[in-house]
Amino acid sequence: MPNLNINGRNMSVEAANDTPLLWVIREQLQMTGTKFGCGAGLCGACTVHLNGEAVRSCQTSVADAVGKKITTIEGLSAKGEHPLQKAWVAEQVPQCGYCQSGQIMQAAALLSKNTNPTKEEVVAHMDGNLCRCMTYSRIQKAIMRAASDMRTASATGSERRAT
Amino acid sequence: MNKHVKNLAPETTDLSRRSFLVGTAATGLVLGYAGSGIDQALAAPAAANFEPSVWYAIAPDGLVTVTCGKADMGQHVASTMAQIVAEELGANWKDMRVQLASNDPKFNDPVLGAQITGGSWSTMMNFDAMSRAGAAGRIALTEAAAASMGVPASELVVRASTISHPKSKKSMSFAEVVKSGKATKTFTADDLKAIKLKSPDQYTMIGVSVPQLDIPLKVNGTAKYGIDVMLPGMVYGALVTPPVRYGATVKAVDDSAAKKVPGFIRAVTLDDKTTTTTGWVVAVANTYANAKKAAAALKIDYDGGPNAKLSSESLLTEAKRLQGLSDSGQFFVKDGDPNAAFGTAAKVLEAEYTTNINIHAPMEPMNATAEFKGDILHIYSGNQFATRSGAIAAGAAGIDPKFVVMHQMWLGGGFGRRLDADMMVPAVQAAKAVGKPVKVIYTRENDMTMDFSRPLTYQKVKAGVDGDGKLVALSHDVVSAWPTQRWGIPDFLSPSVDKKGPLDAFTVNGSDFFYTVPNHYVRAIKNEMAHNATPSGQLRSVAPGWTFWAVESMVDEIAHATGKDPALLRVELLDGKGKNDGGAQRLRNTLLAAMGLAGYGTKQLPKGEGMGVACVSSQERATASWTACVAHVAVAPSGEVTVKKLTVATDVGTQVNPDGIRAQVEGAALWGMSLALFEKATLKDGGIEQTNFDSYTPLRMSQLPEVAVNVIANGEKATGVGEPAVTVVAPAIGNAVFNAVGARVRGLPITAEAVKAAMKA
Repeated sequence: MPNLNINGRNMSVEAANDTPLLWVIREQLQMTGTKFGCGAGLCGACTVHLNGEAVRSCQTSVADAVGKKITTIEGLSAKGEHPLQKAWVAEQVPQCGYCQSGQIMQAAALLSKNTNPTKEEVVAHMDGNLCRCMTYSRIQKAIMRAASDMRTASATGSERRAT
Repeated sequence: MNKHVKNLAPETTDLSRRSFLVGTAATGLVLGYAGSGIDQALAAPAAANFEPSVWYAIAPDGLVTVTCGKADMGQHVASTMAQIVAEELGANWKDMRVQLASNDPKFNDPVLGAQITGGSWSTMMNFDAMSRAGAAGRIALTEAAAASMGVPASELVVRASTISHPKSKKSMSFAEVVKSGKATKTFTADDLKAIKLKSPDQYTMIGVSVPQLDIPLKVNGTAKYGIDVMLPGMVYGALVTPPVRYGATVKAVDDSAAKKVPGFIRAVTLDDKTTTTTGWVVAVANTYANAKKAAAALKIDYDGGPNAKLSSESLLTEAKRLQGLSDSGQFFVKDGDPNAAFGTAAKVLEAEYTTNINIHAPMEPMNATAEFKGDILHIYSGNQFATRSGAIAAGAAGIDPKFVVMHQMWLGGGFGRRLDADMMVPAVQAAKAVGKPVKVIYTRENDMTMDFSRPLTYQKVKAGVDGDGKLVALSHDVVSAWPTQRWGIPDFLSPSVDKKGPLDAFTVNGSDFFYTVPNHYVRAIKNEMAHNATPSGQLRSVAPGWTFWAVESMVDEIAHATGKDPALLRVELLDGKGKNDGGAQRLRNTLLAAMGLAGYGTKQLPKGEGMGVACVSSQERATASWTACVAHVAVAPSGEVTVKKLTVATDVGTQVNPDGIRAQVEGAALWGMSLALFEKATLKDGGIEQTNFDSYTPLRMSQLPEVAVNVIANGEKATGVGEPAVTVVAPAIGNAVFNAVGARVRGLPITAEAVKAAMKA
């Protein structure tokens, strides 16, 4: 019975070691924000974070996730107010919305390391995430907006600390 | 719309049977059509707060919940319906909520008389009904408020969910009026029809980009799609689909290895009397991971059936053979006598245009959850055609369709794929076999190889030009599988002009264009072989996705053959004479707008670059949105095409949510580009060869061009926006490639190899 640390909570799950993390998250933990898209690491709909890195949960066995911090869309921020989530609403990004948890998690991994990405860096980082509704231009805009908001917040934070 | 749609359920009949109710129920004010009792009883799920007969309800807290009878697959149609209601109701947008309808017939489309979402029809066909529903609510609330305040209703003003009396400065919120219990007015169909709706200059909500109500749910993982349904005691089904797309049968199933998989329950071989599926087996287990393991362990012996040796080449060869026969098919358009005109024409052009098989591949793979509860079969699945899909589920269960309740979910993409109901069959039969609720989820491989795909099409177009360079004759043969005939619903077919029986107009729509051509034939020819081997479906934009590829490529070919500018030839052909009056001028204006916005013909482009135009009246002649595109491409010596910019203009009459329209048009244009350049499926040995996103490759972010969307809203009636822009892009790109490097490619997708070959030719 593997023990998982997911969204800050320790949970024991009943699954064979080779079970894809995706299905454990969705079925056993009933966190359905993480989506199944291709089962082959080709679309990015199932993206979650393992220790802050974006991974495809359909290609990650539950055994590989043991001992690591797993973050899903449900745990990205306590109230769903991560700058990316706010930017996604501001830019009205989702159409069907199915791929968007994965898109947001993929983008969050980028912005956690680099809050000033170039357009080329965004494209290179996001190209593995398919959106069949083709919302790509809004995804790009939202990432740039969130990055800018994060830079502003961080600058304001530094000012506050300075004073 | 086609004539069939009107036949499906005449609006007047529907309205006369029902009276519009406004009354106070325990939970608030309820507005809707009174349905028949039996349907309501059956459709009502166990939840105590279910509200029958509603388009919307206002709760005592003032929240207005609109029930959307349309499938919401990302076009935000639920939000659009709420916006139309809110305009006439006078509600504050922050008070609006939406919920998705069950398959109760009272939620049927007021024009179509069924629950079906497609054709870019939803806004145009529901605008009036939702407006009148909203207005009726406002009138009822106003009269109740007038009684409470003791003032004349005519002196009241309704704004932002508040009814106020400026003279006395009295006011009541919607919540207070609902709580008062005084809103009891009843509206008959005639009363509704008599309501004077707002004129566009009075709009405060229509035409405003209010935030879409479904978006917050879609950024925090809480939106529930079919695949997210969890029922107590539920188990999972994984499919084993045969190597042949259609026609295989299961000879034997050996489950000895599957039995060793922990959690395995049993393998169910489908007995599908609806003939939706052939040769499918579903492995049922306690988890989906185990169900997949068990499915992989099943050893199944198939008879491949009659289509097991067919390939894309065989379908194309058959299409060409059929086209060559003088008595094939039925006439969709028969104006003048093209054959006689060809005899006297100064110049005759002939060309063949093809499109390959295309796969919908929405991001949410097909899935359905089925549960038998007493006599009622509950289906949970995101679906575009509840009326038919409920019947398919019933057929799979061997029960009457009235015992099926369809629970609509958010759709993780539709694009026409979820008009079909194949996913119901394994879920229903597995649930019946194991006596538990079963959720069946397709793998991406199941989803791609068992798609109801856009069919392979073959079109032959012959054009005759007179001595003055005027297009005098066009004959156009369209050979394809007939996706809509497959539904088996006569009302969706159209009579043929030559009275040779009904034809599937959803294979030829668009070919009845708005150009003035005195001698014009269009023949719809069914490719029976393709129809049987690759049961086809409605893929975003359906026929205009291939008919305009042929027509708009040929118009360019004519222009080049006669030394005319292709865009200006279109302007000349859109003269608005006779039956084309009105539409032609709107399309001409839209084309001119796109040309202006793109800077068409204003500057010399670098070598290897070119602009191409196309303009379309998708979806159907009677439901057209007037759409034009200028594509700017760069073509490498290798033949590789890079789209630098797509400039799209579309005349949609009235826009409900401008930002939503821009999103739809941009998505549709990119679909058009993806189909034009990147998406190709092939049939080999009776099976679809592409199984996942490594071999079937829709556009990704790195392939994104600049897209400029320009919406023309001129106050005409609202038209559809989800599909038309799909159809205009491929010919615009093809024409741009020709203008860039002189290579005419007549098959989709336009590959680097095909461009290079055409450059040499």
